[in-house]
Amino acid sequence: MATLGLAATTGCGGDGGTSADGTVTIRYSWWGADERAKKINETIKLFEKKHPKIKVKTDFQDYQSFWEKFQTQASGGNPPDVFQNAVTFLRKYDKRGVLLDLESQIDAGNISLSNFRAGVTKVGEVDGKQLGIPVGSNTMSLVVDKKVFQKAGVEPTAGWTWDEYFKALKTIHDKTKVPGDTGYFSIMYLYDLYLRQNGKAFYTKDGLGFDKADLTEWWQDGYNRVKAGIVTDPKIVAQDRPKSSLSAGHGASEFTWDNFTVRYTAEGNSTYGLAPIPTMDGKHTGQYLASLMLSASARTSHPKEVAQFINFMVHDPEVGKIMGYDRGILASTEQYEAFKPTDEVNKEIAQYEDDTAKAGVLGTITPHPSGADTIEAAFLRIGGDLGLGKVKVADAVKQFFDESQAAFQA
Amino acid sequence: MGTPVTLVKDSPLDTRKTRSAAPAALKRRGRRENLAGYLFMSPWIAGFVLLTAGPMVASLYFAFTDYNLFNTPKWVGLDNFTRMFDDPRWQKSVEVTAKYVVIGTPLKLLLALGVALLLAQSRRGQAFYRAAFYAPSLIGASVSVAFVWRSIFSDDAIVDRTMSVFGIHVGGWVGNPDWILYCLVALTVWQFGAPMVIFLAGLKQVPKELHEAAAMDGAGAFRRFWNITLPMISPVLFFNVLLETIHSFQIFASAYVVSNTYCGPADATLVYTCYLYQQGFKNAQMGYASAMAWMLLLAVALVTAVLFWSQKKWVHYEEDAR
Repeated sequence: MATLGLAATTGCGGDGGTSADGTVTIRYSWWGADERAKKINETIKLFEKKHPKIKVKTDFQDYQSFWEKFQTQASGGNPPDVFQNAVTFLRKYDKRGVLLDLESQIDAGNISLSNFRAGVTKVGEVDGKQLGIPVGSNTMSLVVDKKVFQKAGVEPTAGWTWDEYFKALKTIHDKTKVPGDTGYFSIMYLYDLYLRQNGKAFYTKDGLGFDKADLTEWWQDGYNRVKAGIVTDPKIVAQDRPKSSLSAGHGASEFTWDNFTVRYTAEGNSTYGLAPIPTMDGKHTGQYLASLMLSASARTSHPKEVAQFINFMVHDPEVGKIMGYDRGILASTEQYEAFKPTDEVNKEIAQYEDDTAKAGVLGTITPHPSGADTIEAAFLRIGGDLGLGKVKVADAVKQFFDESQAAFQA
Repeated sequence: MGTPVTLVKDSPLDTRKTRSAAPAALKRRGRRENLAGYLFMSPWIAGFVLLTAGPMVASLYFAFTDYNLFNTPKWVGLDNFTRMFDDPRWQKSVEVTAKYVVIGTPLKLLLALGVALLLAQSRRGQAFYRAAFYAPSLIGASVSVAFVWRSIFSDDAIVDRTMSVFGIHVGGWVGNPDWILYCLVALTVWQFGAPMVIFLAGLKQVPKELHEAAAMDGAGAFRRFWNITLPMISPVLFFNVLLETIHSFQIFASAYVVSNTYCGPADATLVYTCYLYQQGFKNAQMGYASAMAWMLLLAVALVTAVLFWSQKKWVHYEEDAR
């Protein structure tokens, strides 16, 4: 106990983690499950072998708990030195001075920004600051239960329209009794794509990029489709948690990140694949590359070592081979070329991102203002309440706008 | 928690009576003993100041500020308190908690008293039954039990299937906003062991002669229970009602786990502390969360005061007979 307390004190003192022989210890935390933990531990062993003067301590939780813990640590002035990050949290923690601007480390040559695929480093850039370095990129997609789609005789095609998509859901429900979709209308990232197809976006720089009438229409249609049975009843979705209703067999498709196919394949009993996002005009999907990144704490006492660690994790080909597409398609070209997927699922994800990039539909990500994480959760929750019939559409819309207002101010 | 100090007052250990008359040597010894006492108490005092009193004072201050955990708190006066009454989710959380307390607590106490009455009689295997009924109270508050609860009440699991046999189809309770709260009520009722043990102790104190005399006068079992047992154990009953009510108001872990950390479908298990936690640690509105915490304290204090006031009407203490 005494050593623990001592370590904590020195940690706050500012020269944390440097021992007598010059060995530096950095803390690295991330979210994910056991599968990812095994891979990450392997990559850390590799790093410590090549950098014997740097020790890495890890810590992981699932997504929800990760951010609760992170928030507490960060507000206590003791965030991990390096951590996994996503676009939703960049502005929030930048505003609070938690994130290290990696620009100086890039200038010092400790991190290289070259050899990244298709401008993906833009994701980590906010107001001219480089707040995160991408480890993998992913795209919103439609993950489908291939067996159910085949049974219903439905074939998703590139450029299909929303009308065609909803018709397909009905065909699936009529022929297989399985609802076609697990609840598209409460997914913030999908609504963002839909708005982008219509020349708007979910967020502006500091607010919402749509009005109450837009959301009323989107949610009213969603509610009607739950009632019609072509979208999974939110009751069932709640019961299936933490599994997805898609992998539980209670839905035939789900809008989510393309790399989730890996998880669903591990969870469910069917065959899962990727389908194009429906469009308004037969072309524009509104898609963009999002990314998981590594960020550093502004309070770290070892910015150089942290930068070396990040650089190793995003560029080393061996690390790419170990991680595979666990956090999305590998972001740097060294790693992308080092890992050639052999299994069907990973091959399909690579193919999907290739096709999407070639189709020329990829735009740049809309910036997420501070509070976006709270808003995403509210969108999901209120959407679910609406699907259950617990709240009227007008009240749901009002509530969402109220809660968003509070979230932006926090 | 403050008991160590007050207990000493009238106990034989109290040295104050002798102190004034005592010679200097004894006085010194008394001081040394006091010092030793404080030394032994110091871990508790340090813990109380650092972990309880300090945070409470801080939280009282935060309750009047806008505080997101990172920036300096901004004084906003009573804003956080007035905001609650315009917040539909806060109202929902009050409603859910009230429902939980009002339904869960009486059911739990009824069951505890019922089983205690059965176990108070001497029969074979009594020790086993007492242990068996008490066990859930020991493990019931744990997260793992909440997980088990979650799985037995989910769709197509044992509870759902059993009910289907009787032609009742609600699906899993866990995903059903109309039922999930009863899943939590069932979990608390299942932990009736602790109040049961206290009831048992109370029942042992009821003098047998009273029952015998009443039986001689021709009073039936129910009559004896109503007119003798119940008044005799009313202080114990009062203690249990008070303790369980306060305890119920503070439900958190089971609601958090059973509904899979999101307190819901349709906020159906959004108990007060769950919403407080969401506002504080998820939405970074620590000021609002602190205000909510103090509001809860006020509400519990009010309910406690009402219970204490009501005890004059139904709780009988021995000294009343003076």
